[in-house]
Amino acid sequence: MTAKTMFVTQEGPANALALNKDNSQVVIAGRNVFKVFSIEENEFVESCNLRVGKNLNLNFSCNDVAWNTLEDNILATAATNGAVVVWNLNRPSRSKQDHVFSDHKRTVNKVNFHAIEPSWLISGSQDGTMKCFDLRVKEAIRTFYSNTESVRDVQFCPHSTPIFAAVSENGSVQQWDLRKPERHVFQFSAHSGPVFACDWHPEHSWLATASRDKTIKVWDLSTAKPSLEHIINTIASVGRIKWRPQRKYHIASCALVVDCSINVWDIRRPYVPFASFDQHKDVATGIAWRGDPQIFLSTSRDCTLYHHNFKDATRPADKANPQGISFNTQGDIVYSWRVNTSTNKSSKLPGLLRRNAATSDDFVNANSSLSYFKKSNLGLKGDNAFLLCAQRYLLTGRPLADLCDHNAAVAKDLGKTNVSIVWSIIKTLYTTKVGDFGQQTPSREDAQSATMSTGHIDRDKKDEAGDIEKKVNKTPNNEKDDYENEEDEKLKLAEDPAVSFGDFFFGDSEMDPLSIDFERVGNIGLTGGLVTTTDRIDIQQPDWTLPTEAFALRHELQDRSPPPEQFPNSDSPDLNDEATALGVEDQPSSLLCVSWCLRLPHWDPSNVVVAALKHHASQGDIQTSASVLLALGEKRRSLINNAELDESTQEQWLLAYIDMLTRFKLWDVATQVIQLSWIMSVCQLNQQSTTVHTSCGQCDKPLIRSGWLCDRCHTANSAICALCHRVVKGLYAWCQGCSHGGHMEHIQKWLETNKVCPTGCGHLCEYT
Amino acid sequence: MFEAHSINAEHKDLIHDVAYDFYGRRMATCSSDQFVKVWDQDENGDWNLSASWKAHSGSVWKITWAHPEFGQVLATCSFDRTAAIWEEIVGEVSNPGEKGMRHWVRRSNLVDSRTSVTDVKFGPKSLGLLLVTCSSDGVIRIYEAPDIMNLSQWTLQHEISCKLSCSCLSWNPSFSRLHPPMIAVGSDDPNPSTGSKVLIYEYSDNSRRWSKTESISTITDPVHDICFAPNLGRSYHLLAVATNNVRVFKLKPLQESGGVVQRFDIQTAAVFDDHYCTVWRVSWNVTGTILASSGDDGCVRLWKANYMNVWKCVAVLKGDGTLPQTEPTTGTIAQPTLLSSSSSARYYKLGSISHPNQVPWH
Repeated sequence: MTAKTMFVTQEGPANALALNKDNSQVVIAGRNVFKVFSIEENEFVESCNLRVGKNLNLNFSCNDVAWNTLEDNILATAATNGAVVVWNLNRPSRSKQDHVFSDHKRTVNKVNFHAIEPSWLISGSQDGTMKCFDLRVKEAIRTFYSNTESVRDVQFCPHSTPIFAAVSENGSVQQWDLRKPERHVFQFSAHSGPVFACDWHPEHSWLATASRDKTIKVWDLSTAKPSLEHIINTIASVGRIKWRPQRKYHIASCALVVDCSINVWDIRRPYVPFASFDQHKDVATGIAWRGDPQIFLSTSRDCTLYHHNFKDATRPADKANPQGISFNTQGDIVYSWRVNTSTNKSSKLPGLLRRNAATSDDFVNANSSLSYFKKSNLGLKGDNAFLLCAQRYLLTGRPLADLCDHNAAVAKDLGKTNVSIVWSIIKTLYTTKVGDFGQQTPSREDAQSATMSTGHIDRDKKDEAGDIEKKVNKTPNNEKDDYENEEDEKLKLAEDPAVSFGDFFFGDSEMDPLSIDFERVGNIGLTGGLVTTTDRIDIQQPDWTLPTEAFALRHELQDRSPPPEQFPNSDSPDLNDEATALGVEDQPSSLLCVSWCLRLPHWDPSNVVVAALKHHASQGDIQTSASVLLALGEKRRSLINNAELDESTQEQWLLAYIDMLTRFKLWDVATQVIQLSWIMSVCQLNQQSTTVHTSCGQCDKPLIRSGWLCDRCHTANSAICALCHRVVKGLYAWCQGCSHGGHMEHIQKWLETNKVCPTGCGHLCEYT
Repeated sequence: MFEAHSINAEHKDLIHDVAYDFYGRRMATCSSDQFVKVWDQDENGDWNLSASWKAHSGSVWKITWAHPEFGQVLATCSFDRTAAIWEEIVGEVSNPGEKGMRHWVRRSNLVDSRTSVTDVKFGPKSLGLLLVTCSSDGVIRIYEAPDIMNLSQWTLQHEISCKLSCSCLSWNPSFSRLHPPMIAVGSDDPNPSTGSKVLIYEYSDNSRRWSKTESISTITDPVHDICFAPNLGRSYHLLAVATNNVRVFKLKPLQESGGVVQRFDIQTAAVFDDHYCTVWRVSWNVTGTILASSGDDGCVRLWKANYMNVWKCVAVLKGDGTLPQTEPTTGTIAQPTLLSSSSSARYYKLGSISHPNQVPWH
């Protein structure tokens, strides 16, 4: 038998095909095509064109075609006009039309010959009936009323001669007995959509049904109650199905829409086609196995008739990736892989395994295991060094030498000796040589904020004789006053450091130790008080990073509104002016001196430092590169000017570091990095899309229409003033610590004399 | 170094992809059984199934998480020719304080492909909400959600035909603005005569188009997976390729005079033949320093470059967890007696570079 994939193209698409009983000839039938081909070794040879004659009426327009199971010259077609036509190829005339049965009222979908009684022909029609014709008496001998809209397929059972199955557009399957035309044997609902085809298993009492619901279902009809044995999920409506001969679990299907390929499924693995034939350019309309499990023919809407061989099939499962692997932030790995249940352990040779997978049994054994490799902590601190470093590094707020010492110690403690050395070298390069002034170069922002708050102290002291509380009383009921308020707040706290050490404080108060310490450091630093400073700070170490963040966030948002201030160049003159005018000489002088002094050394370390940082960055240690840049503060400018460290690289490092920090959920450190950043695009990360959503305190529904009335529970309880117990309809001042609040004026009045929350919750409230 | 834990995934067919979310505390798996499962890690480090649903009407090939900034969002692609966007939503609760039921809803179904969609990846966060898919008929499609709050609307921005059946793709995750948006695509076309199976596409702001800038001509075997290393601070890119072996390429951008056209100096940084079979997957750790590869041999191998930029195998993990072998080099004590034994000798071979012309770049 021929084993070649070959095809022939016709003038029109065929709706169906049928093979004669010895599989040597094939007939294809459609609206405009009706031909018989003999199947030769390498080609199809047209042996008869049945669409001839002067009167080409609708009797020639076929939905289906069947070849008589015994007589090689008899064909039957289901015509679109409702006729069932019998053709005799042995007729001597050109027209082979033998007889026309015009019993059906609507189009006929299917015709089939009985396997044992070849003069019996059954038809299923759109009018909802099936008819059995006897070719000897040339009339419809029985009519079966399905009580459904339309019958899409009707198939004789190969195991029990009088039995046939019919499927309908309403999703039901009926089993009939030829001898009992009055009523079906049983009926069941098989699909949620129209059933387009059914096929009896050649050996088992299984009936497969194909539906528009994209599934193929296999039913066992041997028992009293039909049981669903298998479901195949396909990607499109299933138009035709045919069991593969000699392969118990295989069935071929083609789609009605979308999918042009013909798939052969193994019902035991119902998700992936066992084999796929992609030769057709449009959807296939008919499938017929040629007796051999390796060969079948198909027609398609692309007007072709194909002869397929299994050796030309594609195997979708072979292309499917059988493994998955993923790394997470902690360095854990998750791995999924195909489990080889086959005992074939000799398959060490490459490729052999894959070839085995093509055989049916290996194909069916598709199981994956999922493993999770947890990076085990061997009790070493180095295992989550990134996290700990990020938390413990100091990036600002102290002299560079201090920062370097501290960070070097942290790195060493965590086993990162190289990084520790980098910090030590940075200290050596940038602090020792130039002496005292270098020791306290804070980052620009801190210098600025510190100067500004000091400035305010001085000014306020002059202007208002330090009467802070009075200033708070000033009605701050519009945005303009916020800034001043902020300053006042700072001022107040700066005056009274004790307040800030309440351990339940959140928000602005915590910025306080920083600015105070900074000022102290500023004063002590010059007189060799470094050791004492360090010691003192060590006690408070864990608090160091967070306070900076909590303070500067709010402040900067206000402070930075005119963008040009971002640029150090435009900024520093002001800063210097102000600072000198105020007589706080320590910080400004250092700022001034940096650029000047760095020109002094004979050897400029910038290139070396940049090379080191680039090395660390390329090794994936972005933490060191970014942290050193941040800690250097203003000194980094020399790196930019004297060595090739362009701004985009710095931006890349900062963004990468921020990304890593957010992966570890170190939001506070990430925010600090953003604040300390000197690059516009990075600074702005904090200022984008900050929204405060309000929800009803009673039912949690978001307040959309107004801030004081809930649309759902119609209460205004969440907007009641803690003092007058009335609904606040305007500005609602609330404490971010305990979330109680009320009318602005009332709260202000209350706070003149009290420090705790007016509701009595015991919270020391902060209204800013 | 690693403890192996088995997770009972209960997928009814092959698992094709696993993906951690941004923080590494959630995990998603997808399978041929058309289901997607989401797993959450509890405080003890155990993985618990938090959601499972039928996502497609065909095998689900790949699954990927969007950046959490956009919500809890997954994208899947399937044999059924679609890619889908899923979002986890928290149901409304009757009583305040009660935790809402969380479930995943399909926000969008991308149906442009006419063949199986073989890979899907979200773009870098800095570019907005971008999604790229590739399909087995060789079409790369780039979608954008113009409104990041509305995940049901995706516009097809670009459609690139690369004429080869695509199997995998990877975004270049670089944070540098000097690096234009870049995608690498791998093809599983089995025919070596169709040329390079790794193509690199870049987006040009000037022409507003994606165009092919490079193809790695040394790879003509089918490519199963491809992955750019996270680029935290490098000036060059590392690209890992899974084909019949594992390869790492170094792509160094060459700035041309106008600064407009960027081409690359492509060097092979490493080739590992140790799997001795088809390599299916490659994956980088978050810092881009360790590469994991897995092949038909059922092993995960971890690779790391040493201080000389020579790549070495640092661990071999058996999938079933029975033999978690670790590389002796961690102890740096190479006992001479062990050197003679065959198993140890095999380890020493792991880090070797198989081809002389791959060495001289450093």
